[in-house]
Amino acid sequence: MKNLQFITVLTNSFQVYRIILVFVVILSSSSCSDFVEVPLPNSQLTGTTVFESELTANAAMAQIYAQLRDGGILSGLPTGVSVRMGLYADELQDYTNSTISLTIYNNALTADNATVASLWTSSYSQIYNVNSVIQGVENATTLPIVVKNRVAGEALFVRAVVHFYLLQIYGSIPYITGTNYEMNRKVTRSSADEIYAAIAKDLESASTRLPDNYSSSDRAKPNKMVAKAMLARVYLYMNKNIEAANEASTVINSPLYAWETDLNKIFLRNGRTTIWQLASATAVRNSNEGTTFIFVSGPPPVCALRSDFLNAFETGDQRKVNWTKAVTTGLNTWYHPNKYKLRTATTSSQEYSIVLRLAEQYLIRAEARAKQGDLAGAKADLNKIRTTAGLPIITSTIATEILSEIQKQRRFEFFTEHGHRFFDLKRSGTADAILTVSKPGWNSSDIVWPIPELELNANPNLQPQNTGY
Amino acid sequence: MKKKSFLKFWTTTQLSKLYYILFLCFITGLNAQTRAIKGKITDDISTVPGVTIKVNNKPTTTFSDENGNYSILAAENDVLVFSYIGYKTIQIVVTNQATINVKLTEDATALKEIIINAGYYAIKEKEQTGSIARMTAKDIDKQPVTNVLAAMQGRLAGVNIIQDGGTPGGGFQIKIRGRNSIRLDGNEPLYIIDGVPYSNESIGSTNTSTALPSQASPLNSINPNDIESIEVLKDADATAIYGSRGANGVVLITRKKGKSGKTNISVTASTAVGTATKFVDLMNTEQYLSMRKQAFINDGIPISDTDYDVNGTWDQTRYTNWQKELLGGSATINDFRTSISDGSETTQFLISGNYRTEGTVLPGDFRYIKGGILSSMNYTSLDKKFKISFSGNYTAQDNLQAATDLTLTARYLAPNAPALYDSNGSLNWENDTFENPLAPLKSTYRANTNDLVANSVLSYELIQGLEIKSNFGFTDLKTKEVRTIPSTIYNPVYEVGSDNSIVHLNLTNRQSWIIEPQLRGFKTFGNHKFDVLMGMTSQQQRTERLFQSGIGFANNNLINNLASAITKNTTNSDTFLYRYQAFFGRINYSYNEKYFLNFTGRRDGSSRFGPGKQYANFGAIGAAWIFSKEKFNPENSKMSFGKLRFSYGTTGNDQIGDYQFYDTYATTGVNYQGVIGLQPTRLYNANFGWETNRKLEFALETGFFKDRIFSTLAFYRNRSSDQLVGIPMPATTGFLSLNANFDATVENSGFEFSVRTVNIDSNSFKWSTNFNVSVAKNKLLSFPNLSGSTFANRYVIGQSIDIVKLYQSRGVNPQTGVYDFVDLNGDGSITTADKQIVKDLSPKYFGGIQNHLDYKNWQLDFLLQFVKRENYDYISNVPGGGQVNQSNTSGDAWQQIGDQSGSQLHTTGLNGAAVSAYYRYIESDAVITDGSFIRLKNISLSYDIPLQTVSNIKCKLFIQGQNLLTFTSYKAGDPEFKFSGFLPPLKVISGGITLNF
Repeated sequence: MKNLQFITVLTNSFQVYRIILVFVVILSSSSCSDFVEVPLPNSQLTGTTVFESELTANAAMAQIYAQLRDGGILSGLPTGVSVRMGLYADELQDYTNSTISLTIYNNALTADNATVASLWTSSYSQIYNVNSVIQGVENATTLPIVVKNRVAGEALFVRAVVHFYLLQIYGSIPYITGTNYEMNRKVTRSSADEIYAAIAKDLESASTRLPDNYSSSDRAKPNKMVAKAMLARVYLYMNKNIEAANEASTVINSPLYAWETDLNKIFLRNGRTTIWQLASATAVRNSNEGTTFIFVSGPPPVCALRSDFLNAFETGDQRKVNWTKAVTTGLNTWYHPNKYKLRTATTSSQEYSIVLRLAEQYLIRAEARAKQGDLAGAKADLNKIRTTAGLPIITSTIATEILSEIQKQRRFEFFTEHGHRFFDLKRSGTADAILTVSKPGWNSSDIVWPIPELELNANPNLQPQNTGY
Repeated sequence: MKKKSFLKFWTTTQLSKLYYILFLCFITGLNAQTRAIKGKITDDISTVPGVTIKVNNKPTTTFSDENGNYSILAAENDVLVFSYIGYKTIQIVVTNQATINVKLTEDATALKEIIINAGYYAIKEKEQTGSIARMTAKDIDKQPVTNVLAAMQGRLAGVNIIQDGGTPGGGFQIKIRGRNSIRLDGNEPLYIIDGVPYSNESIGSTNTSTALPSQASPLNSINPNDIESIEVLKDADATAIYGSRGANGVVLITRKKGKSGKTNISVTASTAVGTATKFVDLMNTEQYLSMRKQAFINDGIPISDTDYDVNGTWDQTRYTNWQKELLGGSATINDFRTSISDGSETTQFLISGNYRTEGTVLPGDFRYIKGGILSSMNYTSLDKKFKISFSGNYTAQDNLQAATDLTLTARYLAPNAPALYDSNGSLNWENDTFENPLAPLKSTYRANTNDLVANSVLSYELIQGLEIKSNFGFTDLKTKEVRTIPSTIYNPVYEVGSDNSIVHLNLTNRQSWIIEPQLRGFKTFGNHKFDVLMGMTSQQQRTERLFQSGIGFANNNLINNLASAITKNTTNSDTFLYRYQAFFGRINYSYNEKYFLNFTGRRDGSSRFGPGKQYANFGAIGAAWIFSKEKFNPENSKMSFGKLRFSYGTTGNDQIGDYQFYDTYATTGVNYQGVIGLQPTRLYNANFGWETNRKLEFALETGFFKDRIFSTLAFYRNRSSDQLVGIPMPATTGFLSLNANFDATVENSGFEFSVRTVNIDSNSFKWSTNFNVSVAKNKLLSFPNLSGSTFANRYVIGQSIDIVKLYQSRGVNPQTGVYDFVDLNGDGSITTADKQIVKDLSPKYFGGIQNHLDYKNWQLDFLLQFVKRENYDYISNVPGGGQVNQSNTSGDAWQQIGDQSGSQLHTTGLNGAAVSAYYRYIESDAVITDGSFIRLKNISLSYDIPLQTVSNIKCKLFIQGQNLLTFTSYKAGDPEFKFSGFLPPLKVISGGITLNF
C-alpha cells in the first residue's frame, strides 16, 4: 500500500518534471535571441549610406537649406533676424504685443529669453548638420570627387554664413567645426578676430571647391561667386578693404549677373541681381518675407515700418514708393516693407528669399574704395545705387561725407533684410548715438545679445556672460 | 454581560454540534444515502440567482436558478456550502430536511472574499505581500465620467491624477507614488487591460491635436461601466513581475464578465449638464479703462489711433464678462448603455453596449460621440480542467472640437470689446478694429478613433496542482485626426481666399499582439504551501503614421478633400516597431497561513536598446506576517486582523522611444527644390540601458471589530537611478541632449494611510466610510555636475524635482513704482542668478473621504477629494500694455512717489524698467500662492423603486454629480487644473434610470 503510494508520488512528480521540462524547452526554443532586434524604420538611413550617393548627399544639403529658410537666423519668418533685428534696431514697430516681441523691441532682453536661446540653438543645430555633411563627404568612398567638392563647398559656405551672423548677434562665440560632442560640449569662445579668420578660411575653401556655375536652378544653391560675395562682406567687416573690393569686383564683373534698374524686378525669383536665394517650400509658395511683412488691413499682425524710418527717406527716393506700401484701415495708416510683393501662393512661385544680391557688392566696393581713398571709384558705385533709386548723383569730394552717404544708402537699400541696419550701426560705432534717441530702452550693453543662460550653465567654459546681462 | 454569555452559549452549542457530526461521520462512514435537497435562496430584498451550492469535499456543485431555487444531491451529514460574491458564505449540515432555504447576508467588508488581481496571478487580499490599491465597479458606476482615470481621482492612496482639461477626449496626468524620472514624459504607468498591455504613447500630431492641452488619453477607449475592477500595483513585490515597465506602477483593468444563473438584462439611460467650474476674477470696464488710461499717463504719451479700447472707437460704457460669454455655456451629455449576461455552469457570456454624446460649453456646434461594444465569454469544462475565456471590446470615438481653445481669449479680451454679432446676425468686426473671437471657431479639429482590445486565456489542469495556461492579446487602434484652417477665420477685409485654406491630416494605426504561455503549480505539504508560476512574454507593437497637409482649395467646402489641395505635403510616413520579450516567475510560500514569502522575478529584453543592452533582470521579495493569528492575540479579541508586510525589489523603465540607439539620418518631409531633406536624428550613443527603480515598502494592516474598521498604513521609499534623461548638452553640440543613462537619483518616499469603516450596519440603514491620505515627498538625491548642466536653474539637490526657482519679490518700490527684487547673490544687479527661492509645486498631501449610505431603497455616495499644494497665481501680460484684461487685483497700482501699493505702475510697454520688472515678477515668489482645495468630486444618490407587482423588474433612479463644490482660496481659476489657456474640467450634474430584468 505504502509502496504503491510512493510510486504514484514518484510517477506524479516525474510527470511534473517532464511537463516543466517540455515547457522550458518550448519557451527557450521559441525565444530566438534576435526577436528584440528590430530593423531600421522605413524613414531612416544610416549615416554611411547617406554619403554613398549624390542623391542622398544632396538631400542632406537640401535639409540644411530648408532649415535656413524655415527657421533660425536667415528665415524670413517673424523668428528670423529680418524681423528680430528690425525690431531691435529702429526699422520696425511691433504689433504682436507678445512678450517675446516686446522684449526685443524694448531692448529688454535677458539671458533666459526664449528668442535668445532659440536663435542660438537653431543656428548651432544647422552648424552640426553642415559639419555632419562635411565629415560624411570626407569619409565617403564611392562619391565622385566633383560631387564631394561641391557638397563640401556648400556645407563650408553655410558654416561660415551662420557663424558670421552669430558673431554679429552674440559677440564672440565658439566656432564649431566637428561633430564630436565630447569636444563640442566643452568649447570656449573665440575672439572676433579668430572667428573672422575662421569664416574667411571656410569661405575661401568653399570658393575653391564650389563650381563656377549654379548647380541648381534659381540660384538657390551657392556657387563660387556666392562664396566670394559673402567673402567680400566679411573682408569689409574685417576692415580688409583691398580684399573686400577685389572680391566684390570679381562678383560684379561676373557675367552671371547684370544690373537691374527697375526696382520692382529686383526681388523677383528670376531677378538678375540675385546672387543667392532660398527657394520656397513648394512650387507655388513665395517668400516667407512676403507672408511676414505684408498685410492688407490694419492693425498689422506682426509689425510695420516705424514712422521715423519712413520720414528719413530722401525726397524722391523711389524705394520709398516701390519698396514700402501704405495700408489704411479706418482712420489709421500703416506701412509695410514691400520689396517682396506676394503674401500668398501663386500658380508658380514668383519670389524667393534673397540672401545676397548685387547692390550689396556695389556698396561694399564703394565703402572699401572710399576707405582706401579711391573716392571717384566709391562715388561711381554709390551713384549706381542712387540713380536706380531715382536720386541725383553725389558729387562730394569729402571722404567722410561719402562714407556717411554710403551708410545712408545701406540703410534704405537693405532695410528689413537680415539685420543689415543693426549690424551696420554696430560696425560703424554709431549704434549708441542713434538708438538712444529712437529707442527709450537702449543701453550701450545692448550692442550684443546675452549668451543664452542654459548654454552658460551647460558649458561653463562659455563664461563670462556678455556685459550688462 | 449578556453578550458574553450569549457568545459562550453559542460556542458550546456549536462545539457540541461539531462533536456530534464527527461522531456521526465516524459511525456512518460512506454508507450515507444521497437524496435530492431543494431550497430557495434569498437575501434582504429578493431571490438570489447564480449562487454556487457545493457539497463540501465532494465534486457535486450546482447553481441557483433565476428564481433562486436549487436542487442538489447530498447525503445526510454532508455540509452544503452556499457562496456568492459579495455575500457571506454559509455552511449548513444536512440532517433530515428535504428543503433547505437560505437567506444570504451581504458581507459588508467582504474582506475574506476579496481576491486581488495581481496581473499574472490572483491573491487573497489578506494574504498579499505587495501593495495593491483597488476599486471596483460599485464605485465606478456611480460617476458620470467618460474616462476611467477621472473615476479614480481621490479614491486610491498614492495615486495622484489630474485631468488635463474640460474638452472631451482629453488626457490625464497620473503619477503613482510621485515622479520617478527626470524626463517629463517618462513617468507613465503601465496599463494592462485583461492581460493585454495597452500603449499610452501619443497617437496625436502637433499639427493636428491643437484642441487639447495634452495628448488624448488612450483609456478613453474603455467604457468605465464595462470595468469590473481596477488594481493599481505600487510596490516592488507587485510590480517587479512587470520588470522593465513596472517602475511607475501598473494599472490593471479587468473588464466585466458574464455570470451564471438567471438572464440579466440591464438598461441605463442618463442625461447630464456640464458647466465650467470657476472663472478668474477679472477687471470690469471701469477698472480696465482706468488702468489703460493710467498707463498712457504714466508713459507720458498720447493714446494712439490703434488703442480702440480707450481712444473712443469702442463704446467705453460697454461691459461683457467674456468668460461667461465664451465659456459659460452648458454641455449636454447623454449616455445610454445596456448589457445582457447569462450563463450555465460551464458557459457564461456578457454583451454590453454603450453610446455617449457630449457637447461643449463653447459657443458652436461641437460634440464628442463614443460608442462601444464589449463581449465576453467563459467556458469551463465539466471536469473543471479546461478553461477558456474570451473578451473583446470595440470602441469608436468621433470628436469634433474647435481647433483652438477660447479660454485664453476669454481672459484677455478687453471688457469693453464690441458685440460678437452685428445687427444682421453675422460676425461683427467693428469696422475692422476687432478680431472677432468667434472667427477662430471655424477652424475645427476632428478625431476619429476606432479601437479593438481583445484577449483570450486558455488553461488546462494537467494534473492536480499543475496548470498550463496561455494568454493571447491583440489590440488594433486606428486614428484619423483632421484640423482645418479655412480662410473664413480671417476678417473678410484681409481678402484671404480659399487658396490659403489649410488642412492637416494625421493617420495613425497601431497594432500589437502578445502571447504569454505560463505554467503554474501549487502543492501543500502539511502547513507548508507552495505556489509557483513561470512564464514567458513575447510582444510586438507596430505603429504606422502618415502626416499630411494640404494648402489652397478652389472652395472651402473642399477643405476635407486632400486631393483638392493645390499643394500637398507629406511630412511623416513611417512605421515603428517595438518588440519585447521576457521570462518571468513567482514563488510564493506560506506557512500555516500566517507567514508568507513571495519571490518574483523577470528577465526582460526590449528592442528599444542597442546590442548588448537589451536584456536586464528585475526581481523582488515580499514577506508578510499575519500576527493576529498568533497565540498572543486571542481568537475573539477586538483586533480581528493584523498583518505586517515588507517588500523590496527592482523594476525598470524603458519609456525612451524606439530606435534611439541608431546613428541615422531621417527623412524630414521638408522640400527644397523638389528634394526631400535628410537630417541627422540625434547624437549617436548606443550605450544606454534601463532606468532602474528600487522600491522599498513596509506596511501594517489591521482590522478591528470583525474588520468593521480596517486600516492600512504603508511607508514606501522608491529610488530611481540610471536616469534615461537625455543628458543635457549645450547647443554647440548640435543637440540639446544625449540619450544616455544619467547618474542622477530621484527618491520618492511617503506614507499612505487608508481606512474603511462600517459605521452602521443594520437591516434598514447601512453607512460605511473609506478614507485615504497620501503624504508624498520627492527628492533629488544626486545629480552629478548639476551646476554645470542645463538643469542648474531647475533642480536643487535635496529638493523635489517639481520645484521652481524664483526671484524673491520685495513688492513695489514706493519710489520708482516698479517691482523690486532681492539681490540674492549680492552682485549688485538682478540677474537670473538671483532666482534662488525654491518652491515645490508637487502636492504635500492628498486624498479623499468617501461615504456610502444605504437606507431602505435609498443609496447615497459622496467623495470629498483634498489636495494640499502651492500653485501659480493668474499670470497674463504686462498690466496696461496692449488690450489685455487683467486680474482685478492689479487695479491697486502705484501712481505717485510714496504710494504703497500691491501692483506696480501701469505702462503701455514703453517703460522698459517696468516691463523687465514685470517679467521678473511673474518669475518671483510673489506669484506662488496657496493652491490647496477640497472638492466634492463625486456625489451619487439613487433610489430603487419598489415594484411589488412586477417582481422581475428592478428599477433604479439616480442623480450624480462631478466636481459640484470646490472649497479653495485659490483665485486663478480652477485649482486642480494646470494648463492655463485651456478649458478646465467641467462640473457635471447627471440624472438617469437603470432597469434590470
